[in-house]
This record gives sequence, C-alpha cells and structure tokens, in this order.
Amino acid sequence: MTDLPVLVVGAGPSGLSAAHALARAGRRVVMVDKADRLGGAPILSGYARLVPSGEWARDAIGGMVRRVEADPQIDIRRGATVASFSGDPGAFRVRLSDGTEFAASAAILCTGFTHFDSVNKPEWGFGTYPDVVTTTQVEQMFSSGKGVRCPSDGREPERVAILLCVGSRDRQIGREWCSKICCTVSANIAMEIREALPKSSVYIYYMDIRTFGLYEGQYYWESQEKHRVKYIKARIAEVTSDGRRLILKGEDTLVKRPITIPFDMVVHAIGMDPNVDNRVIAATFGVELEKYGHIRKASSYAATGGTSRPGVFVAGAATGPETIDDSIAQGQSAAMAALAVVQDVVRQAAE
Amino acid sequence: MPIHEKSLIRPEDLRRQEKLTLEGVDVSGDWSTFIGTRVITDYNEQMQDEIAALPGGEYIHRCWQCGSCTNSCTVNAIEPRFNPRYWIYLIRMGLEEELLRDKDIIWQCVSCNKCTYACPRDVVPEGVMKATAHWLELKGHTAPSPSTVFDEEFSAQVFATGKIEDGRVLRRFFAATGQALRQPWLESMLRGLIARLPLTLLLKLGLATLIRPRTAGWAGARAAISEHVAAQKQAERRALGLAAQEGAHR
Repeated sequence: MTDLPVLVVGAGPSGLSAAHALARAGRRVVMVDKADRLGGAPILSGYARLVPSGEWARDAIGGMVRRVEADPQIDIRRGATVASFSGDPGAFRVRLSDGTEFAASAAILCTGFTHFDSVNKPEWGFGTYPDVVTTTQVEQMFSSGKGVRCPSDGREPERVAILLCVGSRDRQIGREWCSKICCTVSANIAMEIREALPKSSVYIYYMDIRTFGLYEGQYYWESQEKHRVKYIKARIAEVTSDGRRLILKGEDTLVKRPITIPFDMVVHAIGMDPNVDNRVIAATFGVELEKYGHIRKASSYAATGGTSRPGVFVAGAATGPETIDDSIAQGQSAAMAALAVVQDVVRQAAE
Repeated sequence: MPIHEKSLIRPEDLRRQEKLTLEGVDVSGDWSTFIGTRVITDYNEQMQDEIAALPGGEYIHRCWQCGSCTNSCTVNAIEPRFNPRYWIYLIRMGLEEELLRDKDIIWQCVSCNKCTYACPRDVVPEGVMKATAHWLELKGHTAPSPSTVFDEEFSAQVFATGKIEDGRVLRRFFAATGQALRQPWLESMLRGLIARLPLTLLLKLGLATLIRPRTAGWAGARAAISEHVAAQKQAERRALGLAAQEGAHR
C-alpha cells in the first residue's frame, strides 16, 4: 500500500522537479506527459536563455530532463494522458490513454499552460504580416542559432517593437489576468537583440511595467541604462504595412500625440493562457477550476499545492501564470505534500 | 476638413491657403482653414545619446518619469511650460520636433538644483537642462544664451592670463549681448565701491584694468588648458555628428 507510486502529470519544470524530489525521498513515480519528449514549454517551444539565470533552456531544463530519465525510481510514460482517475488518497486507481492501469498514492498536476495565440488579436498583424512574430518565435531564433532576422526576407531588423500584454489584461478577449513574466522576458529579449545586433533599436510599448522584485534592476533598468532600450507608454492601436516596413499606430500618451512609426519587426509579448486541456483535466481528476480556467488552488496556509480534491496536488503554471523558478519550487513543495499524504496513510494504518 | 474653432489648434498647425481648388471646390481663404497633421512619424534615435555625451546629461537614461523634478522646480512654479520631466521624456524617446517647440524656454533653468535632490533615480535633471541647452546651441537651434556668452568671456580671460578682470568681463559681455555699458545697478555698485574700499585697493583695481596682469609662469598652464578644452569641444561635436570645427552660428 504505502509503496504505491505517486502520479506526476506533466514533465515541464514543475513536474520534473516534483518527480525528482519524490524519487530522492525514496518514492516511486509514474510520470505521464502527452508529448513524446520531456521538458514542457521551455524545451518543446525552444526557449533560449532563461530568466533570471541566463542559462540556455536546453542545458538547464534539459539537465532536469536527463536527471529524471536516468532515475530508476521514475517510470516515464511519453505520449500518454490520464483517461480515468478514481479512488481515495493513498489508493487511487489510474488508467492511461494507452490502456495501462495502476494504483497510485497521490497525484500531482503539473499540466502547465498554453501560449496565447496572437491570431486572436488580428489588429496587431500576426498572421497577416510575416515580420510580426511572437516572443516564443524570437526565443526560437536565438535557440536555433540562426539569430534575429525578419521572416519576410531574412534581413537583420534595424528597428524592433515589442508590444506587451498581447493576450493579457484584455477584457475584449476574456483574458483579464497579468501573465506575470512577459515584461521581464521582453526586457531580456530586447537586451539580447541589442547585443546580437548592436546597430538595432528596440522599443517596448507598455501600459505598466511589471518586472517585479529583483528583476527591476537586472532587466528593467539594465535594458535601459546599458542597452538603451526605449519604453513608450502606449497601447498600439494597429499594425499595418506600407508595403516595405511595418507601421505602428497608437498614441504616445505622455506627449498626447498620435504616432505612426515604421518598424522592421514587431514582436508580440504573448501571455500565458490556461492549458487548453484544463476542462478535460478538471473532469478527469475531479478538481475545480478558478474563474479563468486555471486549476484552483486550496488555501496555501493549510497545505501547499492542494487542489479541491484531497490527495491531488498542483504545481507550476497550471494554477496561473508562473515563472520557471517558482514552478520548480512549487513542484518540490507539492512533492512534500504528496509525501505527507503517504505518511498519513501509514500512520492511520498503524493505529 | 475646414475648421472653425481655431483657438483649439496649435497656431503652427493651422493652414490657410490664399488660392486653392481641390477637386473643383474652391477652398481658398479663411473659411477653409485646414489643420496640419499632429501625427509623429519617426523618432530621432540619436537624441538621447547625444545629450548624454554632453556634460550634465550622463544620467538621463535613468529617468522613470515620476515628475519629482518638475514638482520641485523653481522655474516651473512661475512658468508652467518649463517642465524638465517632459523634456527628458522627449529626449529619451527622440521626439525632437516636440522638444524644439520649447527651445526658447529650456535655457531658463536657474540651476537651483532642487530637482537634483528630489530625483529618486539620480538623473541630475539640472545637469540635463544644462546639456540640453548646450545641445540646442551646438545644433544651431538657439543662439548662445546670455549665460553662455558670459561663461565664454569669463573662461577666455582665465585661459589667456590666469586671472579675470571684472570690468573687462562685464564690458565685453555687455557688448556681445547688445546691452548698454551704463546700467543703473552697475553704477550704484561702483559708487558704493569707491565710497567704501581703501584707496590702495582701489588703485590696484584701477591699475589692473589698464595693464591686465598675468599669473606668473602661466604659459604652460594655458597650453594644457587650451589643449584640453579643444579636445573636449571636439569630442562633443563628434558625439553630436557635427563637423570638427565650430559651425556658422558661433
């Protein structure tokens, strides 16, 4: 009974961290991921250098993947999802999409998020103009080693605009939350572009800047003082083209004047949506979602990483926009909570 | 579109055509006044770096637009168009056209440095005002301000002789700025000096105006200072993308 494995769903930063922590504590783990390789968004979406370490995602998160893959305590099921989940803490029944069934003592949902699809904001030109790209695409330009180039003709952009809050803080499209990381990621990308293309200029169009905590110095001010990135308080109205370059229209709010400025490349700082599969996940595991569709967290003061169902825990961006470092911390924390469940079952059995 | 409420429009944006026909419609005269576009169509990307290259402008890129400088400003209290916070924004974002609208106010900074002590980001706005006034002069947007003229005369005398002679500084400053030599405040000050100073000191002063004494062994210092000043001026002109020699306005 007590040596039943813990089910970890999702192999991104929080899942990898939870699985590793459980294995180190001597528990067996079944790790399930719907993708055919581990690593989650940082690996599958080809992130480049991570905030705030500056390490490459393939080294940092890749290292976590290799550590989990090498661990005999962890049974990895790639390309699989959980089809049904029933029972009580200490004795859950799990059936996977490939038909295999097993018992688990607890489950940790590390199911992450889905990148916002910029096509849902057509006025900003994504899908219409090839030189309108997303932060994820710029990450891929760096991680592939090809560098930042305009997709239309491969030229180095002389002037780049980054638009913040694409798919965040926007009631028009039902996304009222702040995605938390895009300001910092955008400042990081802006500095990387300025380093790679010293002749380029990078402008960030913002409503508020939320480079929280220590990111204030390392990203917000470093980008301005050292890399001369410009921050303009304006929400761009539309992105069009004069046939040669992209044209940004909006209001420079501090000058109270309309702007119509040419750019070579426009980058959408896309937000973090709830995982598109969250309704299915919620129904399968019998856990509640909060009003935007993220997995609802139980009160942090009683136990960390709880959901609305005892014995089922949650960590990372599944509960809302989250940083990689915090996702990793939450993975470990949820592992601790799952261990406590197992201990409780043992104690109750002994009494 | 022809407009009627002209008071709402910046005067420089009003366009009145004496004789103009558009698609067969006569739009001449006052009833068909047009408005020029207010749209900003580009940034001057060099502007921030140019100001930062001039003494006092070094920390402009630290600004976060909180308005502490403008709020503490001595000049702003009596001239609301004097707004350091706003000008710093215009410079940082390269909105040159908007800055030039205020070119005849910027030099009026009195260097009280209240902004310097109010600024939470250590931008030293007073220095930025100095650098901006300097930039406007170097770029030929404004004539040298009276204080620039005074400074140049003052320093030229120090460089030449190692000393200044107040009478000569004043005479030449008044001449260069088109002011009369006979100023009531100056006359009353001179009368006061003559009445109160000891005779020997007055004689010394009078002699100095006639023979222009020099600091002993000044030639070496003069050479070093001249070389440094020339190098400094050249570096500033280079940073501003100007020809190595001083331009037409000076």
